[in-house]
Amino acid sequence: MSSVATSQAAQHQAQRMRKHAARKRVNAIALVLALAAMSFGLFWLIWILIETVRLGLGGMSIALFTEMTPPPQAEIGGLSNAIFGSLLMVTLATLLGTPIGILAGIYLGEYGQKGWLGSVTRFINDILLSAPSIVIGLFIYAVVVAQVKSFSGFAGVLALALIVIPVVIRTTENMLSLIPNALREAAYALGTPKWKVISSITLKAARAGVITGILLALARIAGETAPLLFTALSNQFWTSDLRQPMASLPVTIFKFAMSPYENWQKLAWAGVFLITFGVLVLNILARVLFRNKS
Amino acid sequence: MTEKHLSTQFDAELSAISTRVLEMGGLAESQVAQAIYALVNFSSETASQVLQGEERVNQLEIEIDRDLSTIIARRQPTARDLRLLIAISKTIGNLERVGDEAARIGRTVQRLINSGVSSRMRLPVVDVSFEASLAIASLRKALDAFARLDAVKALEVIKDDNQIDREFDGLMRQLITYMMEDPRTISASIDLVFVAKAIERIGDHAKNLAEQIIYIVKGTDVRHNSLEHVESVVR
Amino acid sequence: MDTRVDLPVGEKIKLSVRDLNFYYGAFHALKRINLDIPERKVTAFIGPSGCGKSTLLRTFNRMFELYPEQRAEGQILVDGENILESKHDVSLIRAKIGMVFQKPTPFPMSIYDNIAFGVKLFETLPRAEMDERVEWALKKAALWTEVKDKLGQSGSGLSGGQQQRLCIARGVAIKPEVLLLDEPCSALDPISTGKIEELITELKADYTVAIVTHNMQQAARCSDYTAYMYLGDLIEFGPTSELFMKPKKKDTEDYITGRFG
Repeated sequence: MSSVATSQAAQHQAQRMRKHAARKRVNAIALVLALAAMSFGLFWLIWILIETVRLGLGGMSIALFTEMTPPPQAEIGGLSNAIFGSLLMVTLATLLGTPIGILAGIYLGEYGQKGWLGSVTRFINDILLSAPSIVIGLFIYAVVVAQVKSFSGFAGVLALALIVIPVVIRTTENMLSLIPNALREAAYALGTPKWKVISSITLKAARAGVITGILLALARIAGETAPLLFTALSNQFWTSDLRQPMASLPVTIFKFAMSPYENWQKLAWAGVFLITFGVLVLNILARVLFRNKS
Repeated sequence: MTEKHLSTQFDAELSAISTRVLEMGGLAESQVAQAIYALVNFSSETASQVLQGEERVNQLEIEIDRDLSTIIARRQPTARDLRLLIAISKTIGNLERVGDEAARIGRTVQRLINSGVSSRMRLPVVDVSFEASLAIASLRKALDAFARLDAVKALEVIKDDNQIDREFDGLMRQLITYMMEDPRTISASIDLVFVAKAIERIGDHAKNLAEQIIYIVKGTDVRHNSLEHVESVVR
Repeated sequence: MDTRVDLPVGEKIKLSVRDLNFYYGAFHALKRINLDIPERKVTAFIGPSGCGKSTLLRTFNRMFELYPEQRAEGQILVDGENILESKHDVSLIRAKIGMVFQKPTPFPMSIYDNIAFGVKLFETLPRAEMDERVEWALKKAALWTEVKDKLGQSGSGLSGGQQQRLCIARGVAIKPEVLLLDEPCSALDPISTGKIEELITELKADYTVAIVTHNMQQAARCSDYTAYMYLGDLIEFGPTSELFMKPKKKDTEDYITGRFG
């Protein structure tokens, strides 16, 4: 009796070993394929970065930040007006779009679960979020630039803000919904009124995620070219007047990179390097912040 | 206990301990019966058997107590289960003392035999035996009531105790008369008084058992209460 | 079901429930509950899952109003006033009737601010008095000695049992009259549970305590009165020692002795 049992057990074991070996083979193949795919993606990314650094680093100098955009084939020149224009417009767009986005996000997350207004708002927001930025640029062109009959940094700010808002709304709403209801109930149980629950408890708890959302929106608009083409246009000279057309890094890069002039092309690469570096820093910052707080 | 606990283990434990209590009760009952047989027949052999059997009764008390503690520690019993376990604790105490009384009767019988008493003397042993039969019946009825958790039957046991007490009083008077008639019988008569007293106490223990049963079933402690009060609780 | 029990002489009633019906949408969750909760005593609610004990507790501070599909009909009288009437401001009710939940939920702020948060809602205290209040509340929750040197640290750095005591301190700091505890020890280990049970016994000197627990032995240990609920009905209510020794209803006895179906 026991010998039958032992041989059965041995058979079972042999079968198990065969299946195990087969699984290991499949595992190895899948691993190899995954690594290959990753390498493929990484390859291109690294190549882009290398090219950016190679072509852009050469153009880096103090002059980049102190000299304005030069005429073609000039000896000296920099990107100071473009850098300043970008910084100004991006900052203002963020300052304009963030409060609107957060408030709307709070509405959707805390007040708008029921009723038609919430779902309609959410739907429109989703559309705006995936709308091509050139469409937004054209919209501002039609509504602002064509009416005033001039390009302006102000229009550029509006266009960028319209890109910031849907991103902030979406991330704010998502981050708020991650906060467990138990926390809200604990605050209500103390007699806290609704607005205070949101501002002092829920929003505070979602702080890290919301800020990350803002940083990501910022990183996105830093590199947007199309909306600025029809709104802020560009400016060869330095200006801090928002009613005038204003230079920005993306548009300047666009202009210079496609030109046949070597000095312009060099400056374009330097600009690319700056933007890439800046966006990279912002993304890392966002990630570090989020990891610490959670 | 007709319904089962979620834990079949708990059911089994309660059932087992109840069975052991009945086993102890049966043993105590047979101890008493044997002791009376020894008395009526002046059998020294039976008397020593009783004395030997005493040890088993005491051992059962210890074992059941141990099982009891284990159940209480592990199961945190409440309500009916708790009352059952508390009552069992008191019941086995009573049964152990019944065993003691039986042993005492056994020792008295041996003393009587050793001092040369025999059936020649006209000792009212038959009347003692009658009192004993009442007490044994009471005990059996009480154990029966415990097995079936029958409060009505337990009430009968409590009532019957009065009869046992009356029998004892009658026996006392008889023995006193006997002693006054023939002073040579005083020593033996006094021994018989002890026996009769032991039997009366056995009846009391049966009554205590019955009171515990009413506690289990009705949840009310009826000790040291008038018969009318106990009746009202049971009805 | 009318299970009003005559409380012993001298027992004052803090909270009275009269003909309370509760609905989750169309589902009838609480069925004509009638109940008196005595003042400065611990009343425990026991019963199997889904019997409505948490639901009942959450009517006492109108927590159900956060969810539109939940509604209550009937009366809940606190010191003679029906708190279910909308004329009573819900924030004031919740300041009077506090609640501690199953899961410890420290606010995202320092320990000090956690305690001060509720107090600031209703009182303006100078710094020194606020410090005193925070210390008093933490002492009441038996947490002071453990955190007195780290009041500025975040509340989420504490252990589970400490966090729950923090929540209790938070609830006590606003000086309510009634404390509702919804399975406060479910998420805690036995030692933390023991500390909180000890706390409950001390709290009843100053507050009326109502506790929902699925742990019968906890109810037996901590409470003065126990209510047994089943499927939305209040089956039995009485002094704890009586309910656990000699319950009046067979359903109650079946539940507490572990005999189901």
